[in-house]
Amino acid sequence: MTTEVDPRVFALETKAISKSFGAVRAVDQLSISIFREWITCIVGPNGSGKSTLINLLSGMLPIDEGIVVIDTVGIRVLKAHETPDHGITRTFQEVRLFDQITVWDNIMVGLTERRLFPSLLERTKPRHEEKAEEILRTVGMWEKHDAMAGDLSYGQRKLLEIGRVMALDVNIYLFDEPFAGLFPRMLERVKAILKEMRAQKRTVIFVSHNMDIVRELSDHIFVLDSGSLLAVGEVDEVLGRSAVIDAYLGH
Amino acid sequence: MALNTQAVGNLLRRRPRFARGNIELWANLVILSWAAAFMLWQGVGFAITVSTVFAIWAILAVSLNLVVGYTGLLSVGHVGFFGIGAYAMAILSSDASYEQLRTEAIPTFGWPFFAALPISVVLAGLVAIVVGVAFNRFRDDIYVLVSFGFAVIAFNLFLNWRPLTRGAFGIHEIARPEIGGWTLNGAFEFLVLALVFLAIVVLISWFIVTSSFGRVLTAIREDEQAIEVFGYQTAHYKLAIWVISAMMAGLAGALFGSWTSFIDPNSFVLLESILLVSIVILGGLATIWGSLLGAMAFVMLEEGMRFLPFLPTEYVGQARQVVLGVLLVLLMLFRPQGLVGKFRL
Amino acid sequence: MSLAQLKVAALSSALRIQEHHSRALATTLTTAVVAYVIWKIVQSPEQALQFAFNGLPVGAVYALLALGFTLVYSTVWFFDLYYGAAAALGAYGVFYLRSQDFLGGRYDVNSHFVNIVFAAVVAGVVAWALHENFHSRLRSRFRPKVLLALGALPTGAVGVYMWLVLANPSSLNALLSPVIGVSVAAVAFWALQRAHRRLSFGRGRSAIVALVPAAAALGAYCGFLVAVTPESKLYLGWGVSCLLAGAVSLALYRGLYVYMRLRAKSPLIMLVASLGILLAITAIITIIFRAAPRPLPEAFGSDVWTIAGANIKGFNVFAIGVALAGFAGLLVLLKRTAFGTAVRAIGDDEEVSKVVGINTTVVVAVVFFIGAMFAALAGILSGHDTAIQPRMGLLLLLKGWIASVIGGIGNLHGAIIGGFALGMIEQFGIWDLAGEWKDVISFVVLIVFLSFWPQGLLPRR
Repeated sequence: MTTEVDPRVFALETKAISKSFGAVRAVDQLSISIFREWITCIVGPNGSGKSTLINLLSGMLPIDEGIVVIDTVGIRVLKAHETPDHGITRTFQEVRLFDQITVWDNIMVGLTERRLFPSLLERTKPRHEEKAEEILRTVGMWEKHDAMAGDLSYGQRKLLEIGRVMALDVNIYLFDEPFAGLFPRMLERVKAILKEMRAQKRTVIFVSHNMDIVRELSDHIFVLDSGSLLAVGEVDEVLGRSAVIDAYLGH
Repeated sequence: MALNTQAVGNLLRRRPRFARGNIELWANLVILSWAAAFMLWQGVGFAITVSTVFAIWAILAVSLNLVVGYTGLLSVGHVGFFGIGAYAMAILSSDASYEQLRTEAIPTFGWPFFAALPISVVLAGLVAIVVGVAFNRFRDDIYVLVSFGFAVIAFNLFLNWRPLTRGAFGIHEIARPEIGGWTLNGAFEFLVLALVFLAIVVLISWFIVTSSFGRVLTAIREDEQAIEVFGYQTAHYKLAIWVISAMMAGLAGALFGSWTSFIDPNSFVLLESILLVSIVILGGLATIWGSLLGAMAFVMLEEGMRFLPFLPTEYVGQARQVVLGVLLVLLMLFRPQGLVGKFRL
Repeated sequence: MSLAQLKVAALSSALRIQEHHSRALATTLTTAVVAYVIWKIVQSPEQALQFAFNGLPVGAVYALLALGFTLVYSTVWFFDLYYGAAAALGAYGVFYLRSQDFLGGRYDVNSHFVNIVFAAVVAGVVAWALHENFHSRLRSRFRPKVLLALGALPTGAVGVYMWLVLANPSSLNALLSPVIGVSVAAVAFWALQRAHRRLSFGRGRSAIVALVPAAAALGAYCGFLVAVTPESKLYLGWGVSCLLAGAVSLALYRGLYVYMRLRAKSPLIMLVASLGILLAITAIITIIFRAAPRPLPEAFGSDVWTIAGANIKGFNVFAIGVALAGFAGLLVLLKRTAFGTAVRAIGDDEEVSKVVGINTTVVVAVVFFIGAMFAALAGILSGHDTAIQPRMGLLLLLKGWIASVIGGIGNLHGAIIGGFALGMIEQFGIWDLAGEWKDVISFVVLIVFLSFWPQGLLPRR
């Protein structure tokens, strides 16, 4: 990446962003650039700042320093409720569903009106229902659409959460460990969903510890260590570097 | 003899056979048939009085359920808005010619009921905006504490802002509703009016909770941070439902003031608020029907206790409080969503 | 950066500044209020001293409540609203025990029902304590029936004794003198033994035998003294009602909260349940004692001391002392003893504490007992200062809750500072207002504090 690149090929860039918790710098002067319509993977040992980075990019934590550039627009303060307007959404490492409402309503929340007064007047429309059914069938949860989200099994919850972000029509999807703890069959389904997103010209960023999946899916990879960038580039090449192997296996 | 905590806990977790499934049906049957039988037995006059009390409590309970059951904010301060509505109605509509000897003079306007009503409701809403903005950042148990605070502050204002409320002496001669020269002096006419308002409140609440807005409220209750990521500005939603709920409570207050034609701060003590929360939890969280049922059960509980032979009349209120307290404990132990509720606390 | 980027960046930082603004505004306003109060203090220092003397005893009551509240909260992490009821129980317990001799017995209340209920609660607590202490050790040695009989004997004895005490409050001193004697003797023996061991460096164990008669004599003398002093009845009443409030709390925890906590998903369930308990107990107190305020008999220290032109009652100084002593005692208990270590471990992680072999149920139950005793003591002190009424429980609870939040939730140092601070704020707040606005002031302070300094004065470390 030595040559000058047109900034429009990046969906998302961070410019020297930092985040500290007390004395710990969880993310330290991090600058990364995510290519448009690619699947990008962020890997790194535990505590390397992956989840903090996702939290910063989704506005759930305020950024201490630096700037985020989304679609060539620089943003200093990213608020969680503004992220869909910037075209970003996310899933959570520990699944966070709306437990005491139905699976159906969990999906619907992503589809319906955001503005306060229109939402008061809006009832569920046929186009919402069609979309929700389509999503639930894609993630294989249609049979469960009347169940309470809190009554689902772990894998189903994980799938439902992925379905919930699919309801949002945005450009950038952040997945925090979407494959952790899934059965092989569900794993395949999630992989297919991510590939389908790429085919639809969306940008996907995901965090994973499963190197096989990382190799299979990613077009581009960032390796974090102690909140800063250790390596970046094409998957097989980066994962072959000795510094990366060291960071993973310990020094 | 060996008391094994885990074992007893498991025993409690396994519900007895009769309790499985049909509690909702039984709750409905028992409360409704009890109410019907009681009213038939006691006659028309009694039924009218009790139903009016029920209507006022029910408006309060339905409106509070929007905040507690649907949005998950356990507010114990609702009686403040009830009182604001009642005092606004009292000050605006109390008769100016009422002799004010021996007590301090307060401003009186002598407005008709239907002119004062919207002002009372709007005033409760305006106060709710200010309070809601301050309270929006709180959650869970701290929310309970600050809402206690609102109830205490409101009560102290009613009691101590004497130039406006005449303090402990209260305000007399609050106007009765009047429709085109026809004053609703009779108890029955007033009951019809109260039931009409109850119906309006229930309809509005139903409209809210079945809309997309209502779904967002339940999502806020479940995980406020997660719903923000979906582009909802939760602070606005919470504020909106809080204001709507407060306006309904203000309406109930205005009705109450007009019905009794005399109010004093004792009707708006913190305890009333706690009782109201008990009604909402007892009836069922996140269901409108549950709040109606809870209000009915509450009113019937008190009236039923009047006929217990061993209970002196002056202790009825206290005995009702004991029963409600014990019921709350039992509900929290066995049925945290209330009798017909949809949300477990 | 392009112009659009710069614009966005500038707008965002403007928004951020706005957030800072409200905080800065709050800080400025608070500083202004504090400065105004300081100015007033400088203007009339005598008046200010008088306000401080009024505020400190009230603050002591709040501090005691906040201490108990914080102790329990930082162990089990839910707000137990029973503490309001404990405060009312403490105060009404004293009234109950003293009403026969007091004001010519005009307000005399002594019902069999109450006596039996409380005797049963105390007997239950004793049974539980015996079970927890001895059951596992003796299970292998005795048959279950024998064991049951062995347990029932002391349990029944304590129950009957408690019933006797409650049923005959006019001879409280005579009835309780043996207990006082024995406990004084036990404490004296323990202290003497410790002193002896330290002085003799472990040698001369036979000398310990000589300590027994000395301790016994001291105990007997103290018991006799209590029995012949009718004035001691009031203070014995304090002790008994504190113990009763503690026993009820313990019984509530062991009998109810334990099971509820196994099932409860959120702290709100516990909060609502304890609200129900508060509601029920307040109503029962109203039924027994009526809603009207009642006085408590005059305690010692009614003489007024004048210091630098300001007046303070001896009893109020005592109240402040009790709060400080309670704080010191709690600190020693938590920092220096194995029990305290267990409490702090449970506060950190209850599951792990269980795994490393702490009997969490017992430790938490004892924490509830201690906490309720603090609340009851606060109720008694405030009852002697003003008057008692059934709804005092809820008001004191709220004040204690506010004090613990202002001080910093879950921090003992914060609790005592918060308590005294709240007492002072209330007093100085009504300098330019009438006294009836005290409650409003404390809640406004609470809301301001939570909005801008949610951590309180001393955040939990």
